Amino acid sequence: MTCFNRFLVFAWLALAPGLSPGLARGQAPPDFVKDVEPILKSRCQRCHGPKKAEGGLRLDQKTRALAGGDRGPAIVPGKSGQSRLIQFTSGLDPNNVMPPSGPRLTPREVAVLRAWIDAGAAWPDRPAPLSEHWAFRPVTRPPIPALKNPTPARNAIDHFILARLEQETLSPSSQADRATLLRRLSLDLTGMPPTPAQVDAFLADHRADAYEREVERLLAAPQYGERWARHWLDVARYADSDGYNADAARPIWKYRDWVIDAFNCDMPFDQFVIEQMAGDLLPNATAGQKTATGFHRNTLFNAEGGNDPEEFRVERVVDRVHTTATVFLGLTLSCAECHAHKYDPFSQRDFYQIYAFFNGADEATLETPTPVEQAARARHLERVKALESQKAAKDAAVQKKIAAELATLKRNAPAVTATLVLAAAAKPRPTRIHVRGDFRRPGPAVRPGVPEVLPPLTAKGEPNRLDLARWLASPGNPLTARVTVNRVWQRYFGVGLVETENDFGKQGSPPSHPQLLDWLASEFMARGWSMKELHRLIVRSATYRQASHHRADLTARDPRNVLLAKQNRLRLDAEIVRDVTLAASGLLSARVGGPSVFPYQPAGVMALRRSPRPWVVSAGADRYRRGMYTHYWRTSPHPFMTTFDAPRSDAACTRRQRSNTPLQALVLLNDPEFVDNARALASRILESPATDDGKRLQHAYLLCLGRRPTLAEQRLLQTLLEEQVSEFSNDEPAARQLLGRDERDVARRAAWVAVARVLLNLDEFITRE
Amino acid sequence: MEDMNLLQQTRRHFFGQCGLSLGSMSLLSLLGEAAPRATPRTAGPGHHPARARSVIYVFMAGGPSQLELFDNKPGLQQRHGQVVPQSLVQNRRFAFIPRDSKLLGTRRRFRRHGQSGAEISELLPHLAGIADDIAIVRSARTEAINHGPAKLFINTGSSRPGRPSMGAWVTYGIGSESRDLPGFVVLQTGRRGIRGGASLYSNGFLPPAHQGVALRSTGDPILDLTSPAGINPRRQGQAIEAINALNLRRLAATGDPEIAARIAAYEMAFRMQTSGPELVDLRSESRATLALYGAEPDQPSFARNCLLARRLVERGVRFVQLYHTDWDHHGGPGGNDIENGIEARCRETDQACAALVRDLKARGLLDSTLVVWGGEFGRTPMGEDKTPVGRDHHRDAFTIWLAGGGIKPGITFGSTDEFGFSIADNPVDVHDLQATILHLLGLDHTRLTYRFQGRDFRLTDVAGTVVRGLLA
Repeated sequence: MTCFNRFLVFAWLALAPGLSPGLARGQAPPDFVKDVEPILKSRCQRCHGPKKAEGGLRLDQKTRALAGGDRGPAIVPGKSGQSRLIQFTSGLDPNNVMPPSGPRLTPREVAVLRAWIDAGAAWPDRPAPLSEHWAFRPVTRPPIPALKNPTPARNAIDHFILARLEQETLSPSSQADRATLLRRLSLDLTGMPPTPAQVDAFLADHRADAYEREVERLLAAPQYGERWARHWLDVARYADSDGYNADAARPIWKYRDWVIDAFNCDMPFDQFVIEQMAGDLLPNATAGQKTATGFHRNTLFNAEGGNDPEEFRVERVVDRVHTTATVFLGLTLSCAECHAHKYDPFSQRDFYQIYAFFNGADEATLETPTPVEQAARARHLERVKALESQKAAKDAAVQKKIAAELATLKRNAPAVTATLVLAAAAKPRPTRIHVRGDFRRPGPAVRPGVPEVLPPLTAKGEPNRLDLARWLASPGNPLTARVTVNRVWQRYFGVGLVETENDFGKQGSPPSHPQLLDWLASEFMARGWSMKELHRLIVRSATYRQASHHRADLTARDPRNVLLAKQNRLRLDAEIVRDVTLAASGLLSARVGGPSVFPYQPAGVMALRRSPRPWVVSAGADRYRRGMYTHYWRTSPHPFMTTFDAPRSDAACTRRQRSNTPLQALVLLNDPEFVDNARALASRILESPATDDGKRLQHAYLLCLGRRPTLAEQRLLQTLLEEQVSEFSNDEPAARQLLGRDERDVARRAAWVAVARVLLNLDEFITRE
Repeated sequence: MEDMNLLQQTRRHFFGQCGLSLGSMSLLSLLGEAAPRATPRTAGPGHHPARARSVIYVFMAGGPSQLELFDNKPGLQQRHGQVVPQSLVQNRRFAFIPRDSKLLGTRRRFRRHGQSGAEISELLPHLAGIADDIAIVRSARTEAINHGPAKLFINTGSSRPGRPSMGAWVTYGIGSESRDLPGFVVLQTGRRGIRGGASLYSNGFLPPAHQGVALRSTGDPILDLTSPAGINPRRQGQAIEAINALNLRRLAATGDPEIAARIAAYEMAFRMQTSGPELVDLRSESRATLALYGAEPDQPSFARNCLLARRLVERGVRFVQLYHTDWDHHGGPGGNDIENGIEARCRETDQACAALVRDLKARGLLDSTLVVWGGEFGRTPMGEDKTPVGRDHHRDAFTIWLAGGGIKPGITFGSTDEFGFSIADNPVDVHDLQATILHLLGLDHTRLTYRFQGRDFRLTDVAGTVVRGLLA
């Protein structure tokens, strides 16, 4: 073969016009920089370079080029005939011609490459060219810009924002009024509206640090952990069932509670990442650290009969790679599952190197018994022991009886709380690239590793999942901190500094304020990856505290509010819409954590699924728990959740959509639970110490909107109240129907329910202003 | 008309009582711009003139047996009881049955029908009566062998959850003409819910307004369409008037156009409270029409859903999907076999499917309405060793039919090999079917894209060719 090729090529060279005589005679070998690299650059690197690495091959870096691609070495120093680079570019192998389209390499170019390889393929060492893309470069610590007018600035964030506004000669908005500010802060930090007492206390607090005191109060509230846990559960694709056909319930709420606790005790984010990715591999891992690995057990699970279990195991591992890349790195690595990424410098090899980390993990169940369960289990074990001790002594009939009893007893062992976790694989699974993403077509073997364009792993020997976790959470990783602060920023302003919060690659949008992003990322790490510190930093800024009113000058100059010369009005998330309704009507249960619950749900929802499951409404206060505790069936989510854009939990959701539909109006107007809440709110208003309707309306406004009504609003509601009183006075049976019972003063009470219903439907009520 | 009065009243009330004059012109224009539709028109008109205005997709969930219904295979009859030739099953995937299963001939008789001479089995006598109106595709094939993934694949172009469904893509592409109803409506009958549930009609990463709205077969057709007890339409109007008046004030204070959209949404919700019950009230349908479908006005049934589908299309709804479950005829006790099970499913659906096409045609709607009938895959030429007998999932060949909306009527397209195992000519892959449906609606499947996570996604992923042979 080699000889044959050599002969052919020799003939070809001889025929090639314009060939340098020196080359033909095999004297001085071609110089890499002068002769070879320009050919690789102009003819090869478009597909085998930093942008994509087709077939896993890159010809822009020495180590990668000499290592070869998925099909094996491309360059065999000293042996051009065995080098695929020559075989393919010369056209000798008609099935594999490179480049696949466009003009072929000239005979002279092939000859240069061949001569260079035969002379040993000398490739001078030099630093590998890092990707020039901003997100892959190390996080910097930009200086805080000076301002012409520093008066509006409260902290460093404002300097970055105002510097840009000064450039654009735009002025920031003034601070929102104090009532709006408190409701905003309260909703953002805890997902709870402020109570009338909290509003009044804040309005009366004239100390200079009154606002900062509110920040501290809210950050210390257990509802803070709930609110920010729910944001995290979006990216963790948390749900209480398997999805697909059977959509069986799964025990995973312990993981949800772990997240809540982690936020409430302000676990440093690097540790938060490490425990979720690889808590089980930490030395002397605690039950909590193992529970944290439930993060990667939130994958769908297909238990349908007739499956190839390996197909769906592979699918879950792929999902873990995709989720890891999306959540921590803000990368669309899943493109590289089947082929080299079209836009970013990730090869299929990069994908399967990360895959290898998760391929080495087993799915396990961790028992986390409560003390009561533990006692029950101990009692059970004692009975088993007692019976077993009797086994030997008796005659055959008694023995048989005891054996039967034992069997029954063992079958009925008391259940204990459990949670889904990851564990190191009992048997290692070597990883191979899946050709075109098909697991039935194994390609070359790969070892665990990280994308080449990012900083290397520092582990000694074969790295494991814990090394990957530490790499993700290391200050040297250019993405994790940037992606995280950007997503937190997005929760406060609706849009991140990088608008494409799930794509920091080249197809993503560049940051609107690159220096602020880097400053925040470096500050976040400098403050020990403390989430609460990051929240303090943002909510104490003047930028955050601005009014959200539209401004005519901005509508023209900055219609999408990229420059942040104002705050944004944001509709509340699905769970929070229900939470604020329950809070305003006084029904909300404050209990934190525990198994998921079953609030009221319209009949027939569970009939829409393949496998019937019951929906038995929880008893007592559990009916009124926060929305984040509602049991989430993947194939039949609570319709309220879907209507208000809760994520589907099929994959990591990094940003919820905010729709505005008639279906939402129908729920808030007519859903029995919301009508119940309106009744409770009406009772609460009527039972308040307010002495006249005007004061009652003001109290109602405070309960719902955290502010007092304007005169015009008050007049409008007064008119409505009188209208409804007369409506129901003329139709007392209707009043009784609306109230659901008979009581004294029925028309007036019904009229108040009508008013309460209007308040619970206001745009402002379900909006953070 | 009552709703228009409400709208005017609200504005009068607001402008009168609150004395807002400054900027009221721009406020009104904001209100005018707010989408008055349940499903917004996003991309305007399509890429080329449309042949179909609406789609009714009759989804036979579970995988009906093409060998009992459409694909007559004398070769299979002759080799009945013999072990399947191993050359056929090499490198193929099956869900349940072993590779040495025996070939199973059908006991159903086939006859040719209509001028077109289409072969249809005795199980579908009503469909046989409209043979000249439909195009039978005997060469459909898919990628997935299990229900969940296969249903996702045919609905979303991907066998993993998370992508937008066909109806969502269509309303995203050309919006909906209905002002009072959602643009993408899903109806469902059968003993069990559909596998895959809401992900089959999900909006995926498209805006949520494009998700399929599942009409309920009992009670309110749309959740919470009924006002609370004690709230009659007048009081409901008063409540919405007050809500919108206060919202309008907030709009004036904040200038946020989202509030204008919410005002429009409340007005639309009020209209839906009338149009929804009107839609499902079949008392206005003639006896003859009800008899044609075999529907009872208040009895949930597939026939009733077919009639509702026609009413939805009449009202400008763009994409209607009717699911009927339990076509998964593996055999064995429990009624899911190709003896009794398939007969029962045909009895439940045959008359109504034919009636739908006839009714659309009689009303001049068939030309503009594309009707698609099919499951997520077909069934194996080999039998499952059960009593009564059944067949396993088969992805390599199955039959669907289409009618109206620019489809060439009275043809049988494509064919399979002598056992019905593989496609012999004119294969129609799922992405081809999707490309063809979009094409008939005036959409080019390669240009109907949505940027998500840095990539332009399509319903047809990176594949799909319009099946020209099916076009009229």
